[in-house]
Amino acid sequence: MAAAVETNACSITDAPKAPAKPGAPPIVEFKAVTKKFGVGTSREVTAIKDVTFTVEDLENVGEFVAILGPSGCGKSTILRLIAGHAPQFPATSGEVLYHGQPVIAPGPDRGMVFQDYACFDNRTVIDNVAFGLECRGVPKRERTEAALEWVRKVRLDPARDAYKYPHQLSGGMRQRVAIARTLILKPQVILMDEPFGALDPATRHNMQDLLVELWREVQATVFFVTHDVAESVYLGDRVYILSNAPGTILHQFHVLAPDRPARQMMREKPFQDTVFRIRDILDALEEGKD
Amino acid sequence: MREYFKRWVTIRERPGWLEGANASILCIALVLAVWYVLTAGEHAEDRIIDPITLPSVGDTLEKFPDLWFDRAVARSAAWSLGRVLGGFTLAAAIGVPLGVLAASFLRLGAFLKPISIFGRNIPIAALIPLTLMWFGLGETQKVMFIFLASVAFVFFDSSGAVQGVPNSYLDAAYTLGAKYSARKGLIGAAWVGLTYAAVLTLAYYFLSRAPGPNDVELRASWIRWFWGMGFFGFALGFALWFPILAFQPIRKVLLPLALPDIVNSLRLLFGLAFGYIMLAEVINAEYGLGAIINLSQRQGPREHIYLSLILIALLAFAIDRGIIALQRRLFPYRQVGEH
Repeated sequence: MAAAVETNACSITDAPKAPAKPGAPPIVEFKAVTKKFGVGTSREVTAIKDVTFTVEDLENVGEFVAILGPSGCGKSTILRLIAGHAPQFPATSGEVLYHGQPVIAPGPDRGMVFQDYACFDNRTVIDNVAFGLECRGVPKRERTEAALEWVRKVRLDPARDAYKYPHQLSGGMRQRVAIARTLILKPQVILMDEPFGALDPATRHNMQDLLVELWREVQATVFFVTHDVAESVYLGDRVYILSNAPGTILHQFHVLAPDRPARQMMREKPFQDTVFRIRDILDALEEGKD
Repeated sequence: MREYFKRWVTIRERPGWLEGANASILCIALVLAVWYVLTAGEHAEDRIIDPITLPSVGDTLEKFPDLWFDRAVARSAAWSLGRVLGGFTLAAAIGVPLGVLAASFLRLGAFLKPISIFGRNIPIAALIPLTLMWFGLGETQKVMFIFLASVAFVFFDSSGAVQGVPNSYLDAAYTLGAKYSARKGLIGAAWVGLTYAAVLTLAYYFLSRAPGPNDVELRASWIRWFWGMGFFGFALGFALWFPILAFQPIRKVLLPLALPDIVNSLRLLFGLAFGYIMLAEVINAEYGLGAIINLSQRQGPREHIYLSLILIALLAFAIDRGIIALQRRLFPYRQVGEH
């Protein structure tokens, strides 16, 4: 099933926002990827089916791909296949290519941010942020300096929060730590699995604006799984809508890039039209489920 | 008053520090009162329970100086504690790393499972005759008894603690670049190996010089055994810790995240092991709290049995509190349960 790129939606841009690097392979490419669990048993389940898409490696900017879909349709499976995390990885059939090469294992070039933050409880904020550098063998002084810099960038107070443990932080602060810890490694791809799903709306808007700002700085390609349509339209350059399980890409929208704060942009008419349109598609999918 | 009783029947209503302590004191007072009533009376005929079965509170307390000075209960407590510490350290030195490995490499876990099940279900009392046959009547037997009685539980709990670390931490570690680093593993494991070798040879040295019947010293090949212990200790420490230290996901994520739970289970198991040692000390021990109880039962005064039991409980409580305090310092990010 080929995904239809819809170009007549409100608030769309019909062209990619920058030319692809000439001669470079796409940064992420799925070729008819299918993932089944429990193959050969009575509990065989197909998580995603024939997923095909290409995300080009753009010159000097990364694309922001938001993935929407009814619950249980395999959104996370797509992310975990790119990351190389078991048990979703490896795919049952098809090819997952990263820079034109098959994905073989997780690596720091593909950072991941989880809904439950997964901050290491035994490490202070600064040691959490410096974890990746520590694994690389960066000397202590250097990595502490870099970590402090990133603590500032995610708008935590280095003086007050740097030596706190995760249990002393709120959910939003913990997610800031998790984002800093991922971005400090300058990944080329950032995979975010409903990162703001557990946050209250106000914190969520702040985090969205923060993410947009940081993403511009690191110029990475972002895959962002969410349930929140407004969030996906605000953050995404492109929005994928997955079908009911087994998931496959049904629609692909190009939407306007976030150039104003979330609270402002989300109030505008074209923005809301797009949101309602996508929401209608999703509602139809949820209804058709059972 | 009415308010106070209402608090007693409110589910999960947490008492303040003072109120909780008062409730505990009330319990002790109640036990003492019952004891007092049951044994009140000048002559045996006046008492509800005769003095042979249960001595009175006063008689028991009167015998304390005797226990402290003539029987040297403090020295015996030190001996008991030393034996438990020796056997339990050995059990932790093997059980903890092995448990961490078994929970990280699940095929190894499946391989060790039969031994773990066997070790946890063996009747502790049956280990006494077995260890007597294997290690003779001396101190080695007592240390090895504690080791054998506790190692399978230490292994099982450590493995469970590591299994309890959610997968998302591991996934996060991988995407942050945690990897296998043989160099770090080699250096670290070599140091651990040397530590194991030093501790084992020292333990062997002290065990072979401990008072009491001593089969170890009878061996002509003492020096060969001494070096053998050293090499064995190094190999053991190196083999157990190399994989843990070489794999960053284990060294930096699984082990530190599981450590508070591991230490907590060690605290509980140490309490059990401290109870088990009395079993071994009933047989051919010159010193030890178990030996005192055994001696008092045969030669009297029987009051010493009750006093010893109270002392054991107090000592165990103090040790437990000590370890809890240590846990709070080591793991400030983790609450230790109050019991």
